[in-house]
Amino acid sequence: MIRFENVGMRYGMGSEVLKDISFTLERGSFHFLVGPSGAGKTSLLKLLYLAHRPSRGLIHYFGNDTTEMSRLELPKIRRRIGVVFQDFRLFDHLTAFENVAMPLQINGAKKAQVAGHVEELLEWVGLKDRMHAKPPTLSGGEKQRVAIARAVINKPDLLVADEPTGNVDPEIAKRLIHLFSELNKTGTTTVVATHDESIVEAVGAPVLHLNKGELEKQRGFKYQPYDKAVHAAQGTIDGPAEQSRRAAILQGGKQDG
Amino acid sequence: MVNIFYRSARFLPERAAGEGLLPWVIGVMIFLCTLSFSLTSSLGAGLEKWSESLTNSLAIQIVTENEAERDSQTDAVMRMLEATPGIKGVSVAAQSDVLALLAPWLGDIPIGSGLPLPTLIDVELEDGNALNIEALRERLKATAPNASVDDHQEWMNRIIEFAAVLRIALTGVMFMVILSTIAIVIFGCRTSLATHRESIEIMHLIGAEDSMIARAFMDRYLVHGLLGGVGGVLLAGGLLLLLANIAEDIGQGLISASVPDLSIIGWLILIPLISGTLTMTTAFVTVRRALSKML
Repeated sequence: MIRFENVGMRYGMGSEVLKDISFTLERGSFHFLVGPSGAGKTSLLKLLYLAHRPSRGLIHYFGNDTTEMSRLELPKIRRRIGVVFQDFRLFDHLTAFENVAMPLQINGAKKAQVAGHVEELLEWVGLKDRMHAKPPTLSGGEKQRVAIARAVINKPDLLVADEPTGNVDPEIAKRLIHLFSELNKTGTTTVVATHDESIVEAVGAPVLHLNKGELEKQRGFKYQPYDKAVHAAQGTIDGPAEQSRRAAILQGGKQDG
Repeated sequence: MVNIFYRSARFLPERAAGEGLLPWVIGVMIFLCTLSFSLTSSLGAGLEKWSESLTNSLAIQIVTENEAERDSQTDAVMRMLEATPGIKGVSVAAQSDVLALLAPWLGDIPIGSGLPLPTLIDVELEDGNALNIEALRERLKATAPNASVDDHQEWMNRIIEFAAVLRIALTGVMFMVILSTIAIVIFGCRTSLATHRESIEIMHLIGAEDSMIARAFMDRYLVHGLLGGVGGVLLAGGLLLLLANIAEDIGQGLISASVPDLSIIGWLILIPLISGTLTMTTAFVTVRRALSKML
């Protein structure tokens, strides 16, 4: 469903920071993107969330060739992509609720629908009691969860997360990866860029390994259900009833209780 | 700042650096623009009113050194004028009045000093008269060879010419002020775009279309334009009322004819709306153009 073919990328007239990148991400797959600093992870993520155009090669999204797409057509593709930025990039003057509501508002959702859905999602990330707080008053982990809620509120087809566990303690990191796994189970293709080898090892999901702008190896690059591995790695945080309730929220249904 | 419409996503902070001054600057511009506009329109209307009052009269002058000749020509002219249709009244200016008119050039001269004075005949025309001045001139020549008609046209033309230049200058000022306002809004918008570049980028990445982003700026600049417009018009309106009062006290010729016509104050209400539309449209065009250069 997402295909990169011999993609190269450069900034301005500089040399290529990504060279001959080719891979396919199947629908509902989960991948880690790893590599040393300066390897081009952020550049590859920028291509993935359509913040930059490739200098060569082809990128296909959901059956559309985005390299040939005019900028006016990009918003409809971007609405199918959720992004969790490393530095969160929340709007500081808006509350957690308003931040999470923004993609729905952009999508033209009605005011009444927005309220219910945002509250449910903030509850899912454990921030219902902080929904009227503004980002400067939130801790790093809380901001991260608001950013995740904003990224997933539109039930994206692709979720891209840049170092989502970089600024949080290990316990929160486990919890965040667990959130991603729940979303992934609903069919969202997920790409997580990380430096945290322990999480990669523990989860055991396919890995895109970047080095000096090239994909070095694609370890286990075949989609596999991995939520079992996630749970094994982190221990079960929530019981099955809680998990199915959260899955229902993600799918847009009402929680059971 | 209020979120005027739910349609505009509130991704811009309510108070942005430097933007607070914008309504004040726009207010000053609108004040200058309103003054130019009011003075231009009242100058035109005043001049028309004034020239209308002058065309209802004319003066006939009989100049000859021979006193007997002058008196006989005066009688002949008076008879001819009284028989002419379209003339409401005719009067011969007294010698003392003629001497008073000459006093600035010749100083005080006593009556009967032997100085040959012209006879001045003041002719009052009927309202809406269609008197043919050229025909009157011809008939006067036949009746009194030393008589000439002064219908004020020559010096009226000079004043009309001066007023026309003044009107062009004021209209020029008005357009320059409008252009400056547009330039200020463009500059303000570009600064806002630079300040909020990251927010705009996030909005784009979560799927916002250019029109949504532009609407947020449009709403903001509409409010700036309305506020500035109301402030500027109130200030200009106050000054115009003051000028109208002063001119009424003076109550003389062109000044009283050119005082701001209070009926245009009704039109002034439209100025804040025009100002709001102008700033909003300028913001829209500036932002859309800048966004089209982003990915």
